[in-house]
Amino acid sequence: MNQAEAIAKLQTIFDDLFLEPVSLTPALSAKDVPEWDSLMHISLLVAVEKAFAVRFRVGEVEQTRNVGEFADLILKRSQER
Amino acid sequence: MQHGELKTLLLKGDPEFWPRLAASTRAAREFDELFLLSALRKKAQARHLPVPGVSREKFRVALLGGYSLYPFHELLAHLCEMAGHPCEFWRGEFDNYISEIMDGTGGLYEFRPQAVVLMPSEHRCKYTGHLADARETQRAEAGRVVDSLMELVRGLHDKSQAEIILTNFMLPARHDLGAYRSRTLGADWTFRKWVNFELGLNAPPYLHLCDLEFLAHRIGGLAARDDRAWFESKQPCSPALLPDFAREVAHLIGSLRQAPKKVLVLDLDNTLWGGVVADDGLEGIEIGDTSPRGEAFKAFQKYIRSLKQRGTLLAVCSKNDHAKAAAAFEKHPEMVLRLEDFVSFKANWEPKSDNLRQMATELNLGLDSFVFVDDNPAEIEIVRQFAPEVTTILLGPDPSEYVARLADCRLFEPRSLTAEDAARTEQYRSDAQRQALSATVTDMAAYLESLAMEAAISEFTLVDAPRLAQLINKSNQFNLTTRRRTEAEIHGLMADESQLCFSFRLKDRFGDHGLISVVISQKAGPVMKIDTWLMSCRVLKRQVEDEVLNELMRLARLQGCTRLEGVYLPTAKNEMVRDFYARMGFVLKSESAGARVFELEMDAIQPTLTKIKITRRAYEPS
Repeated sequence: MNQAEAIAKLQTIFDDLFLEPVSLTPALSAKDVPEWDSLMHISLLVAVEKAFAVRFRVGEVEQTRNVGEFADLILKRSQER
Repeated sequence: MQHGELKTLLLKGDPEFWPRLAASTRAAREFDELFLLSALRKKAQARHLPVPGVSREKFRVALLGGYSLYPFHELLAHLCEMAGHPCEFWRGEFDNYISEIMDGTGGLYEFRPQAVVLMPSEHRCKYTGHLADARETQRAEAGRVVDSLMELVRGLHDKSQAEIILTNFMLPARHDLGAYRSRTLGADWTFRKWVNFELGLNAPPYLHLCDLEFLAHRIGGLAARDDRAWFESKQPCSPALLPDFAREVAHLIGSLRQAPKKVLVLDLDNTLWGGVVADDGLEGIEIGDTSPRGEAFKAFQKYIRSLKQRGTLLAVCSKNDHAKAAAAFEKHPEMVLRLEDFVSFKANWEPKSDNLRQMATELNLGLDSFVFVDDNPAEIEIVRQFAPEVTTILLGPDPSEYVARLADCRLFEPRSLTAEDAARTEQYRSDAQRQALSATVTDMAAYLESLAMEAAISEFTLVDAPRLAQLINKSNQFNLTTRRRTEAEIHGLMADESQLCFSFRLKDRFGDHGLISVVISQKAGPVMKIDTWLMSCRVLKRQVEDEVLNELMRLARLQGCTRLEGVYLPTAKNEMVRDFYARMGFVLKSESAGARVFELEMDAIQPTLTKIKITRRAYEPS
């Protein structure tokens, strides 16, 4: 899986969770989406870990600055399995 | 997790959104799903989607504790609102609860909470000394943890008059100390258990415990914890446990505002027993220890009886023939529930919703205090539509899950201890003392006396036939001849008047042993020949053999016989009864290839006196 494919899969999770459609791009970040508050973020992480069968290490998700970096982190953690 | 339909309803502004949301919320188990539903609710509220029904005044709830209360409070708010108890929340700062309570920091008391949820930090529930310290020192420290929490809670209640919901402590789930963990009170495992016990047993009436230890146990200790969630956002537990935790607190808040249910109304066929009594007959229904399904139904009846014992009223509402339904309770020996257990018994062909309404009028109780249980979805649906105040429980297809359905329904939980409960506790205690006493009795006669044994002896009956066949075909040790018979052959014996057959049921004050001994004998002139004599080894040394012989002699004399003849046929497993007849006073007459024939001349023999009270005898009207 590459970054684009990971983002495509992420898109389906966002479509489930968010009421207003969000179109994911690598540069998109939480502050660009009004619905993406900290509550939604927690929910999002639980859903992502389930969908990708990954487990992030402590503190590393908050280091990612946008969707692209988040997708890269997902890829990195999936390759460990 | 597919909530596209809910989203569509919301975007269209359709008020049908609300009942659908409530139903999805009840069904949701996962954290992210519940979260999404909560988010949808908030969006609907922001769009002013009209809520059907009356709006209720909000209940004021303060949340404080040694954990981040976010996002816990989101789940809690959602669950309370969906359960019809909308709340307004005041949220304390992370781990600031002591000063919030003691000094009113943050305006806790200005908020005038009606209920306060307090989650003390488990990091303060640890023994500070050494594992090998004296037991008394460790126990004293646990006592201090309890006392200081109780003091905090008392102060909070005095200042606010609020009801307090206090969470107790989760136990560790890692091996850590290994087996040593339970040999000291200094381990987190034992220390917290001890504290939890003391908290529960000493809680004043305004204190309601949210048993986090139990909730974690229920899903599993490892699943309940998530260290990463603690390091990253100071969560009290894993995302997997959070929904259960929030549900429990919502349940406790709800129970402050709503009375428990009073009446449990039960269907009959395939609910209390397997099969249809009007079609299959008394001997065709499945109830009792002869089959796994029968056992499951019996266990369900026992559970229902336990609900009655803690104060729930029982009633029957069944589409049935009244006489046949009632006969099942009066005549079936394996039935646990009896007609007198029910405050109302409606077995007829009227719609169940009508029966329930009539019942409510007769008992002078509100329909909203009724819970209706049925295995048939169509009946549940009728009640939902035409008596919507009644809470319904659909049992599903597997009777082994029935007890769990009721035990998890959360509708019949005792709220607080009453004087009566206390008196009952006292009674239990003296029971326990009696039991302890009999355990120390070395005199066998006194022990047997203390058991208060009762027996019912019965000729073979159709209803008993499956259990008789089971015993006849599986008893090996206490079985003189090991002659096996099918259920059809048992029916044959019942039809033959020269056959005298009976079964023996025993109970004592600890419980019912059920049908445990079987005799088959034939009259041959002046001789009564014992074809089969067997007994379950569970009741050895209880004088059952003596009473069986008493009954055999009684029946033989009634038939004009003067002598009993018994035979022992050896097998690999029945060595224990090789000399049984000799022990009972019979005389050995012949022996060949291990088979031993015994006789008992009855003229000079008196019945043996035993400690068993015989409540019924064979071939006599009960």
